[in-house]
Amino acid sequence: MMPELLFNLLLALAVILYLVAAGQLPESGDSLDTLGASGFPLMIGVAALLVMAGLTARLLRQGNAAGSGLRETPLPDTRLMLVNVGLLAGYILLLNVLGFAVSTLLYLFIAPTTFGYSNWQRLGMYALIGSIALVVVFGTVFFVPLPRGIGVFRELSYLVY
Amino acid sequence: MDMFLQAINTVCNPLTLLLIAGGTLFGIICGSLPGLSSSMAIILCLPFTYSMDQVTAIVLLVTVYLGGAAGGSISAILLKTPGTPEAIATTFDGYPMARDGLAGKALGLAVTASAFGAIFSAFVMLLAAPLLADAALSFQSAEYFALGLVGLACITSIGARNQLKAVFSVFIGLMVSTIGLDSINGQERIAFGQPFLINGINYISVMIGTFAIAEVYKNIESYHSRDTSLKTPDKLTIQLMSFRDMARMWDTFLKGSVLGTLIGIIPAAGGSIASLIAYGEASGRHKDEKPAFGEGNPRGIIAPESANNAAIGGSMVPTLVLGIPGSPVAAVIMAAFLIIGLTPGPLLVRDQPVMLNAIFLAMTISAFLLFIGGRFVTSQFAHILKLPYPLLGILIVALGLVGAFSLKNSFYDVMIMFIFSLVGYCFDKFNYSSAALILGLILGDLIEVSLRRQIIIGDGSLAGFYTRPLALVIIGIAVMALLWPAGRALLAAGKAGKLD
Repeated sequence: MMPELLFNLLLALAVILYLVAAGQLPESGDSLDTLGASGFPLMIGVAALLVMAGLTARLLRQGNAAGSGLRETPLPDTRLMLVNVGLLAGYILLLNVLGFAVSTLLYLFIAPTTFGYSNWQRLGMYALIGSIALVVVFGTVFFVPLPRGIGVFRELSYLVY
Repeated sequence: MDMFLQAINTVCNPLTLLLIAGGTLFGIICGSLPGLSSSMAIILCLPFTYSMDQVTAIVLLVTVYLGGAAGGSISAILLKTPGTPEAIATTFDGYPMARDGLAGKALGLAVTASAFGAIFSAFVMLLAAPLLADAALSFQSAEYFALGLVGLACITSIGARNQLKAVFSVFIGLMVSTIGLDSINGQERIAFGQPFLINGINYISVMIGTFAIAEVYKNIESYHSRDTSLKTPDKLTIQLMSFRDMARMWDTFLKGSVLGTLIGIIPAAGGSIASLIAYGEASGRHKDEKPAFGEGNPRGIIAPESANNAAIGGSMVPTLVLGIPGSPVAAVIMAAFLIIGLTPGPLLVRDQPVMLNAIFLAMTISAFLLFIGGRFVTSQFAHILKLPYPLLGILIVALGLVGAFSLKNSFYDVMIMFIFSLVGYCFDKFNYSSAALILGLILGDLIEVSLRRQIIIGDGSLAGFYTRPLALVIIGIAVMALLWPAGRALLAAGKAGKLD
């Protein structure tokens, strides 16, 4: 129950923040536009908050009925999933530094090792072929201006895409 | 007729035919792999369409959609794990047939039914869309507002694991849709001083995050606890149905296709509901047949498979004509329309008649290619299933990242994708609905703008919503769609009370 309660609390906070921002919007200059820019956001924000209150009350009721000692068992690979979320965050942050090609190569090489892969040769081939395929297909064939990174990585990227 | 000839000219060139074949095959592959849905397949194809002409781009996406819906049956039959939500009902009789050594026959039934349903609904789409477009041209803001409500009401009442949470998810989507410039007066709203939020949050980034990346997280989380007791056969071939068998079961083909098309036309209903309803109808009508339903009855595969593919053509009708997605996957296609510079609505059908004919042709060609693609994918399936998920999942993440970045070549879209991947994961974990969030996000602007425009047209009055008969009727349908699950639950409770 606790994780869901925390998630509900986060969502409620986000809705409150949204309502505060919507409430600060100036009134419409058009007298016929009675709702104005803030009307619709305020309506849905308040409605969302009410629904969230109902959901949380129901969750608390269910939690009490089931007994406060009840604890949810996490799935066995939750830590693995969190590590991969962290890796994705790192991959995204590195995009602007190392560029798409190098950061993708690193990501495709490192991420499978978190699952226990240790055949470096096969992983290296997979990462190399995967990143080359992505760069060629998107960067060269479809002209997507992929991130180039900074410094030497930027200069080198111009040789590829 | 001229338009049809133009469409033939557009579709029947080598490159487009190659794209149709490739799209169908890609759809079948993605559909057959649990964890890769039709939506994800289309999202992954989106970046390829940016440089195509409009008709070719839409043709490619529709064939991916069709291939995905058909491909879902492969893993449903072989592994009792539907590759897509639309194939849930196919597992009921498909898996027992495969277990009894009739996997090839079951796959043949699924492919034949999928092709039949797709061609049937393509014809309906071609004939009904212009008629619906004519009616839709008389729509004003009040009717569009009402239609937006129907779209939202359907997604909150169908397919969600918790209806109240689906309602909340819709509200979150609506709230996200209001971020950025106000469509009526151009005022900056809820951007928290961040320049990248002024143009709003791109729904493709949100979709990639909540659908594709969140699905990868989910699969990683259960990576070591997956059921590995089911073995994949080393060699698989599809056994096609004979014409005699097809003639014997013509009623199941036809009813499944009609139900699928009609349910597909209802905004935001979709193939999963269509297949379950068609399965329910077939199992009720032929309940005395042997083998029984649930134990490997062929009609138990034909009904859901013809329905879920027929829902594709059906769902394209409101998507094309009204700009209201007929299913969550159609919502992704609708987003693609906007990206390539087309606004779905009555004017699209009037101004782009070649488009409708081209989609019809592509669906028909793609339906026939299902036999070839299905045969190829099935024979390879044993190998594909042996691919380690980590490699596949990680590649999906990299593809999703490129998809998000390439929308506006913006790093912020990638960040939004990442944030919404966490939101999508938590939504799935706590039974909220990512599909409802996306529908809210896509329909939010339509609902708000129509509401405010109608108020402005009515000199500040809400009268337009109840004095215009069509708007009133559509609002009534939305209210009914919203209240139907509650009514059904009350009826079920009443029946249970009587039985007790």
